[in-house]
Amino acid sequence: MTLLAEQLLNGLQLGVMLFLMAAGLTLVFGIMGLINLAHGSFFMIGAFAAAWVGDRTGSFLLAVPAGLAAAAAAGIAVEMGVIRHLYARSHMDQVLATFGLIMFFDELMAILFGRTPLLASVPAVLRGSVDIVPGVPYPVFRLTIIVVGVVAAAALWWLIGHTRLGMLVRAGATNREMVRALGVNIALLYTAVFGLGAMLAGLAGLLTGPILSVQVGMGDSILITTFVVIVVGGVGSVRGALAGAMLVGMVDTLTRAYLPTLLQGLMHASTADQLAGGLSSMAIFILMAVVLLVRPRGLFPAHG
Amino acid sequence: MSALLEARGLIKRFGGLLASAQFSLDVAEGEVHALIGPNGAGKTTAIGQLAGEIRPDAGSIRFAGQEIARLPVQRRVRLGLTRSFQVTSILPRFTTLENVMTVLLVRSGQVFRFFAAVRRETALREEAAAMLARVGLEGRADVMAEDLAHGEQRLLELAMALATGARLLLLDEPMAGLGPVESQAMTRTLLGLRGGLTMLLVEHDMEAVFALADRVSVLVSGQVIASGDPAAIRADPVVRAAYLGEEA
Amino acid sequence: MVDTRRQAVVLLATLALLLALPTLATAMSMPYLVTLGSQVVIYAIAAASLDLLIGYAGLPSFGHAGFFGLGAYVVGIFAFHAADQSRFLGLVPGSTQAWIVWPAAIGVCAIASLAIGALSLRTAGVSFIMITLAFAQMLYFLFVSLKVYGGTDGMGFDSRNTLAGIDPGSDTQFYYVCVAALVLVVVVFRRLVRSRFGMVLEGLRQNERRMAAVGIASYRVRLVAFAIAGAGAGFAGALDANLLRYVSPDALHWTMSGDLLVMVVLGGVGSLYGAVYGAIAFVGLQSVLSQWTEHWMIVLGPILVAVVLVARRGLWGVLGGAGDGRQG
Repeated sequence: MTLLAEQLLNGLQLGVMLFLMAAGLTLVFGIMGLINLAHGSFFMIGAFAAAWVGDRTGSFLLAVPAGLAAAAAAGIAVEMGVIRHLYARSHMDQVLATFGLIMFFDELMAILFGRTPLLASVPAVLRGSVDIVPGVPYPVFRLTIIVVGVVAAAALWWLIGHTRLGMLVRAGATNREMVRALGVNIALLYTAVFGLGAMLAGLAGLLTGPILSVQVGMGDSILITTFVVIVVGGVGSVRGALAGAMLVGMVDTLTRAYLPTLLQGLMHASTADQLAGGLSSMAIFILMAVVLLVRPRGLFPAHG
Repeated sequence: MSALLEARGLIKRFGGLLASAQFSLDVAEGEVHALIGPNGAGKTTAIGQLAGEIRPDAGSIRFAGQEIARLPVQRRVRLGLTRSFQVTSILPRFTTLENVMTVLLVRSGQVFRFFAAVRRETALREEAAAMLARVGLEGRADVMAEDLAHGEQRLLELAMALATGARLLLLDEPMAGLGPVESQAMTRTLLGLRGGLTMLLVEHDMEAVFALADRVSVLVSGQVIASGDPAAIRADPVVRAAYLGEEA
Repeated sequence: MVDTRRQAVVLLATLALLLALPTLATAMSMPYLVTLGSQVVIYAIAAASLDLLIGYAGLPSFGHAGFFGLGAYVVGIFAFHAADQSRFLGLVPGSTQAWIVWPAAIGVCAIASLAIGALSLRTAGVSFIMITLAFAQMLYFLFVSLKVYGGTDGMGFDSRNTLAGIDPGSDTQFYYVCVAALVLVVVVFRRLVRSRFGMVLEGLRQNERRMAAVGIASYRVRLVAFAIAGAGAGFAGALDANLLRYVSPDALHWTMSGDLLVMVVLGGVGSLYGAVYGAIAFVGLQSVLSQWTEHWMIVLGPILVAVVLVARRGLWGVLGGAGDGRQG
């Protein structure tokens, strides 16, 4: 069972990534009432920009700010060009327009970087492993991801809880008119929140890049997983996003790791492998279904 | 006269506020009963409990001899107890007639019919038209509900409540937002419905209350302090002191 | 006011054009137009069933491809077991008969959408969008993991389902089958939205609170609508598998749900007819743009954004002159 420690860390790492994705998406929904499918595109843009700069300069220290800046810039541009015209529209219109944005960004990345996956390299300092428990090595880079993710989550916590921007964000989520009455520039606030969300998605992307491959469409599957996180946690709630992300991260990782072994005890090995493969890719959706049965509004509903 | 509706000892607490404090009320079959009281006396809470949207902490409600205090709204509607809303609530993109037809459909219980054109069902149309005639909207049957004047929308809402097959209508401020002319039209319509239908009316418009009501109950601080015919209530020194704000 | 004569003229002209397509294709020596036409018609059926949800029930589903693909897989799985004389789950034998396979596809999709709808309808609004998307993706992963049926690659089969009097090898005859199916589906759905059920469904969309106060069980009504729409998508999927003689998880991919949504909105929400024009426009745009550049999505994406921001009535609203695409 020494593997368990490793798998738990993997689950934590996936959970942290999902939280970085879900936080922005759920904030934007909670405050602006907007559903944004193109959130995965910022994940992809962050990963591509960081991989490209890292490849050109060989410096991870330059790659990180490049990825963050590219994602945030894309987010701000999209908000000002398209998204702000969608706040007053139906969710259906929002889905459709942001679906169009996904097509655009996927194809843009294909034109700029081609369809073959880019390899984002792990910086030399962070290569290698350390023993988390004596005799169980764990990659340093994955540990770094967890630490960075936790720091980012804590920073977001502080931002929402203790700054003027955070106060406005919280007030805006419950009472839009009141914030307007305070004389706050709502348009600017919305752009800032959207840009922040995009940057967090970009951070998740650039951290994930060296683990997975950086390729067109990489944001789409994590987007759907992020939706599961948000539904499980409760739409519009940052606390819910955190809980949902951890739960989904763990369930996904642990079922993939242990289901084949468990099922092999019950049936023929090849059947077990197949069934386990199918079940573990569906596990988070089954989790979502169970949560919906018990708590239709998610674990931590935003209002009431 | 036997009581169609009997509320006994209803208690409802919201946090520290006692919105219903031993609220008891009898509404007799066929009468128009007005419930009046100053703002904050607990009128909305009382109506909510009778209609089934608010669950009382204690007490009993009997309707036509059956205990209903724990029944959901839909069950009470089927028994013949329907409320109207203070804020106009209609189906804006249906015609006036279609609004009433929809309610009749739901009442019939035969919703799951998928093929026959509902707008050609003569019996249903005629029944809906009859409902509209009862509230004086027969000339407006084919107008989109959203295009009706505000007073007409209130009348439509009344027709929809009638269409549920109500024996007892809970009317929550039917005159709210109406001008003097529209108020008079509504009063006339309600007068025309008397007899066949029992009504419990919550209303601020005293002119309407005294024109319509057979009996008046006065609610103060969650409790009925007096019940009687309008003349007696008008003369009651306790009511005048507590509610009408006059020195006895 | 809705100009019903103009609408009738537009619809009849469209039907005439659809019927004449194979002749025109031969005359212009562009035989591939018949296959393209079948694709358009099949998408139109799926889009019409989605419009039933979006435009009439007010349920913004983003998982409709789940049922489209499931219907396609029913055809594929029947063909697979017919070819090697085996049984599905050791019970159900294969078949290539349309009168067995197509109703089976419709039935399976109705049952699947009852199950998924029963859970999804516990929520509303933006949660409903995300949940329908997620469940469709779950079906996608299910078929990806089924290695027996080709996994990611999907599986092909030799011939179309047999239907009395129809030559399964003829693309033109199959095209006419699809057109007949489209007419049938649109007529049935038009009647449905004008029935008692349709009136209550529409009432729920307009004012749920009012409907609750008069005693409706909204959950059941919406669930039935969800199942009917799922069955319609399953029928379209079954036809699609027949057209291509191939099924793969791509048919259930979430981008397929997005494409269907695009067709509905492009054509005009809440008319059912709009689906036809949306499908024509979408497939047309796709094939024109892809001849022009391999990166056609970089053009189509911004077109979609522009359509949402600027053109709100949809094609049917423009062609049929229906005020806002509703009550058409």
